[in-house]
Amino acid sequence: MTATMLSPSMAGAELAALPEPASLAQGFCQALRDIQTMTVRYVLRAARQPDLIIGSVLMPVIFVVLFGYVFGSAIHVPGGHYRTYLLSGLFAQTTLFSASSVAVAVATDMSEGVIDRFRTMPIARSAVLLGRTIATLITGLPSLGVMIGCALLVGWRPDAGLASAVAGFAMLALFGFSMSWIGALLGMIARSPQSADALSMLPAFLLGFVSNVFVPIGGLPAWLRVFAEWNPLSAVVAAARQMFGTPQAATGGSWPLQHPVPVTIGMGVLLLALLIPVTVRRYSRPVA
Amino acid sequence: MSDEAIRAEGLAKSFKKTAALRGIDLTVGAGTVLAMLGRNGAGKTTAVRILTTLIRPDAGSATVAGIDVLRYPQRVRARIGVTGQGPTVDELLTGRQNLAIIGRMFHLPPRLAERRAGQMLEQFGLADAAGRLVRTYSGGMRRRLDLAASMIAAPPVLFLDEPTTGLDPVSRSQIWQAIREMVSEAGTSVLLTSQYLEEAETLADQVTVISDGVVAASGTPGELRESVGQAAIRVVLRGGEPAAAARLAGLLGPQARLDGRVATVPAPDGLGSLGAAIAAIQPMSAQIEDVSLQRPSLEEAFTILTSATQPGQSRPELTLAGA
Repeated sequence: MTATMLSPSMAGAELAALPEPASLAQGFCQALRDIQTMTVRYVLRAARQPDLIIGSVLMPVIFVVLFGYVFGSAIHVPGGHYRTYLLSGLFAQTTLFSASSVAVAVATDMSEGVIDRFRTMPIARSAVLLGRTIATLITGLPSLGVMIGCALLVGWRPDAGLASAVAGFAMLALFGFSMSWIGALLGMIARSPQSADALSMLPAFLLGFVSNVFVPIGGLPAWLRVFAEWNPLSAVVAAARQMFGTPQAATGGSWPLQHPVPVTIGMGVLLLALLIPVTVRRYSRPVA
Repeated sequence: MSDEAIRAEGLAKSFKKTAALRGIDLTVGAGTVLAMLGRNGAGKTTAVRILTTLIRPDAGSATVAGIDVLRYPQRVRARIGVTGQGPTVDELLTGRQNLAIIGRMFHLPPRLAERRAGQMLEQFGLADAAGRLVRTYSGGMRRRLDLAASMIAAPPVLFLDEPTTGLDPVSRSQIWQAIREMVSEAGTSVLLTSQYLEEAETLADQVTVISDGVVAASGTPGELRESVGQAAIRVVLRGGEPAAAARLAGLLGPQARLDGRVATVPAPDGLGSLGAAIAAIQPMSAQIEDVSLQRPSLEEAFTILTSATQPGQSRPELTLAGA
């Protein structure tokens, strides 16, 4: 290589002198910075799509009104107030929808030319997907705030104390993050944003509605009850109600429902440990 | 260490049963521009995708900036800038944000990334639009921003896949100017693919013509032109009288060929032959409409070279007479 070839324009020596990561630790720090840069990119993008933000904020409000007042007028849960029962369930249910929003977003990313640019750049392989999922978590905060506000307005209270409620939300964030990685994997598999939407919405609806979110499982027909009792979301909902101090009504007899908090945390950690490497590997696999 | 920015040997790649590349060799000297020409589907983009670490070849080897592309893709990535055919800029960010984020991903420190973003916007004539969302940019502006993004970390080697396809002539010459500046000021080496012969003629030191997955020809633009034929003098008469045409052919000499009111004669000495011919036809000057020296164009070279290897087609006659 000749000297001229290496001498970069304008910024001169500064650019040429940039070090390459010498050690594993430096490489790791650089990967963290890549993830940070990518997260900032996705958060900036999200801030420019107010229609999406408004949609994600309105959704829980509509749920509260629709289920709390329309359906709720005909539903009675033993041992407590229905809207309190519902709200704790809805907090848990929203974690599912991060899966489909990430699935659509990742499929959209993959269909755009910018991913090819990223693949030719010296960034950590995991940065694009981690940036996307972390940004989804961050941009979900405003709608969570609105939802908590709504919940408090209609009479929901964290009866197990503030610390327990905060821990409960942290637990839901962990589970939601693992759901967003299911979405990321679906988004990588799907051939288009539309098919990612279809792929992810069906399980989200099935798990979200055949569960203890809206009604106690005890009243379901036997064959559905088995599904609902072993539905992982039911355990998450039960864990949320436990952390928020909401009366559970009749909990099902399944093992996950009897140990909801460790089951929820365990599922979140296990899913992340599995999904992050699998999905990142799929991303870094050379195309064709 | 070599003086080669890019060196590829025997690159081959098939997609399912279709062979996109059947073993091509390429060399790009440090600080030079190589234009890879070829029709759609000739294999240009596949070659670029291999050299930019996006896909792995079935066979062959390549080094970029002296580094083995297959063994150390991540090290290669730190030394290349790539502009693909599709737009890669983010419509929801401003021009400045786009560049600063790309700069950060090339691991420039934050302040340097910001400063470089400003410099690049200036250089590509986008300073006025720096704070606007890319959504509001024209096609030419997006393309320039895309190029600026590839150049922000001043990579020693730049890959441009059809950088000006679909652009208007003004945007095109702006991009050409930017590429020339990168080469002359920063000593950047460039591999560009193009369907525009004018682009190759304007920018490239060397041209490689790819046809059907193999290198059909390579050399300087001048060498390629000369490889398909020599210059000729073309004389056009005002009228079409056979007697005048015959007299003209007589004056031009035994090699002259007649086609209606147009006479053509080889010009082995270029301008020297032209001067001699003008002197020779002086007696008929009142009847002559036009005299010109015709050089084979790169376009003719391209047409001939890319059709030569197409199966089922014979190589056209390599002459310009009557062309």
